[in-house]
Amino acid sequence: VTQEMLYWQALNHAMDVEMAGDESVFTLGEDVGLYGGSYRVTEGLYAKYGEMRVRDTPISENSFTGLGVGAALVGARPVVEIMTINFALLALDSIINGAAKIPFMSGGQFPMPLVIRVPGGVARQLAAQHAQRLESIFMNVPGLRVAVPATPQDAYWQLRQAIASDEPIILLEHELLYFTKGPVDIMADPPPMHRAAVRRQGRDVTVIGYSRTAILAQEAAAELAKEGIEAEIIDLRSLSPIDWETCAGSVNKTHRAIIAEEDCRHAGAGAEIAATLAERCFYSLDAPIQRVAGLDVPAPYNGALEAASIPRVPDIAAAARALVQAKASAAP
Amino acid sequence: MKQAITMPALSDTMNNGRLVKWLKRIGDPVKRGEVIAEVETDKAVMEVEAFHDGYLAGPLVAADAEFPVGQTIGYVVDSATEAVGEAPPPPPAQAPTRPPAARAPVEPQQTRPPAPATPRDAGVVGRASPYARRLAQQLGVDLGAIGGASGAIRAADVLSAAGPTHIPDLDAGPPYRIERNSSFREAVAQTMIASLATPTFRVTAQLLVAPLMALAKERTWSLNVLFARAAALAIKEHPLFNAVYTPEGIAHRERVDVGIAVDTSEGLITPVLRDVAGRPFDVLSQDWRALVEKAGRRRLAPAEYRGATFYVSHLGIFPVVCSFDSIIPLGACALLSIAAAREGTALFTLNCDHRVVFGGDAARFLQTFENQLTSVDKLTQ
Repeated sequence: VTQEMLYWQALNHAMDVEMAGDESVFTLGEDVGLYGGSYRVTEGLYAKYGEMRVRDTPISENSFTGLGVGAALVGARPVVEIMTINFALLALDSIINGAAKIPFMSGGQFPMPLVIRVPGGVARQLAAQHAQRLESIFMNVPGLRVAVPATPQDAYWQLRQAIASDEPIILLEHELLYFTKGPVDIMADPPPMHRAAVRRQGRDVTVIGYSRTAILAQEAAAELAKEGIEAEIIDLRSLSPIDWETCAGSVNKTHRAIIAEEDCRHAGAGAEIAATLAERCFYSLDAPIQRVAGLDVPAPYNGALEAASIPRVPDIAAAARALVQAKASAAP
Repeated sequence: MKQAITMPALSDTMNNGRLVKWLKRIGDPVKRGEVIAEVETDKAVMEVEAFHDGYLAGPLVAADAEFPVGQTIGYVVDSATEAVGEAPPPPPAQAPTRPPAARAPVEPQQTRPPAPATPRDAGVVGRASPYARRLAQQLGVDLGAIGGASGAIRAADVLSAAGPTHIPDLDAGPPYRIERNSSFREAVAQTMIASLATPTFRVTAQLLVAPLMALAKERTWSLNVLFARAAALAIKEHPLFNAVYTPEGIAHRERVDVGIAVDTSEGLITPVLRDVAGRPFDVLSQDWRALVEKAGRRRLAPAEYRGATFYVSHLGIFPVVCSFDSIIPLGACALLSIAAAREGTALFTLNCDHRVVFGGDAARFLQTFENQLTSVDKLTQ
């Protein structure tokens, strides 16, 4: 049963299905109730499930995230929406010291079926304090899972898998993806939540992206194909854990790798991916692993500068061209 | 005192070993001769023993990675307090690296210029990508003799310098991904390539097997052992089938050791039954059960799967197989392939090394073999 859905509608549908199926599922956050969520993900749920299960909270991220941690400890399955990832900085104690640690420190006596949904990324001129990604902060916390759906189908699958899981999971949703459309098959069996997807097969270079950069990489691949360069596109879908088998299998085949990330280059997700692929695929590499990443600057407010501070389709295509042409020029 | 534990050479053909797991932890006391780790060689999982009394100390190499023979994989120290571990160093290679000498007979490169007198390891040659270096080693290309157009030498430079290669052009077909060869698969591949130089012919016989099979079922005898035994007794009358061609002359073996193909989850392995003509059937059967059990657990030692002078391969459990033949491993003269029985008979195909035996020899051998199959008493003595 495949239907076209917007990314936010897929999330909304996943919430509805899970809440209808399990009374212990509830959601809380700023404006999730009466307003229906800043990106409409909880639209209609307040009317359908009532204020006990769709709870508006004050502007108090550490407190309501902590409330979610406590509810998870006693058997509920809370879905905490933090309005943007920039505000999640206030909730880091609940997330890192609470959600990620309690299952370990209790010797597994307390499961942590907590989902934290957070919009993030550079959108349209929201300025530096509202245009961060911060995924590398959460990747560096053992005990947390980090899912990064790029398509409506993955948004639907991964939110449902996250709610069903007994582990704390952060779902990073990109603000520019909420109004992208794609097919959603609500009956199909999902792959494991951390499994990377090969979005396009190619022989010349592997481009690894996630969230919005997985989409940009596919657009770059379409351009490159016109020039005879076949890029293999991997959508990671999960940043913690990372599906290394899929990544390494592809790099062993193409011998070249590019990581496309919107996050700042310095100590970002791409650094981790490049380092691990260098460990795993060193003797297969025919060129240094490249990162196409955000600049190490706070996101500019100026629209033109903002756009230039993060990877664009031509940037990814140019990086691929440079790697592959080194091969072509070397041939006699 | 700090004693290094090195990757042991557990078989003649072993260049690399994959550390399967450590059985001791850093700080654990170890005794000389005690098993401290498991290593996967080219065919089996083997145990690594400590050579000194003391305590296991780091840095220990990571499990599930491959290391060349002789590399230090850990240490034994005198006291528990000295035994402080550090983070394991990364494996040197995802893919096995071999000394070029081991490759030479496989990839003859007579047209290549002789290797330079200086070692051509990292640093001597200019910049080259890791993949280019690996290809150069595999193809016998001298990196010093080529220069990359863009400065660093890339895979394309090596491939064009190597000329036509045996690497298939995968890009022409459907999408694919590369899964690294296990040591086991790579060892089988190298053995098969090495055996290509053997000129072979085959002769097929249709033999009555129903009475023997019925009896074997009733007495729970192993058909593999019965066939190996019949072959060994036939070899006693045709000793050339127990001989090996070498450039110096034919090597005549003094005992009949039969390798029997076993299909394991990892692939083919051939445990060897020793002195099959000279020892009683029930002792052979007992040995065989032990070998099969070890093969299933991948615990066969090299001494248990090497050195056969004749091979038997039986695919009778697959009723669809009406006939097949096999590749003769180096070091043997012939191999008998036995297909599934149909209407009481089965096809027995004998692959032979034509440098040692001829068609008439093969026919006579099969004639004798048939007689052995029918004299059950002698067979099971």
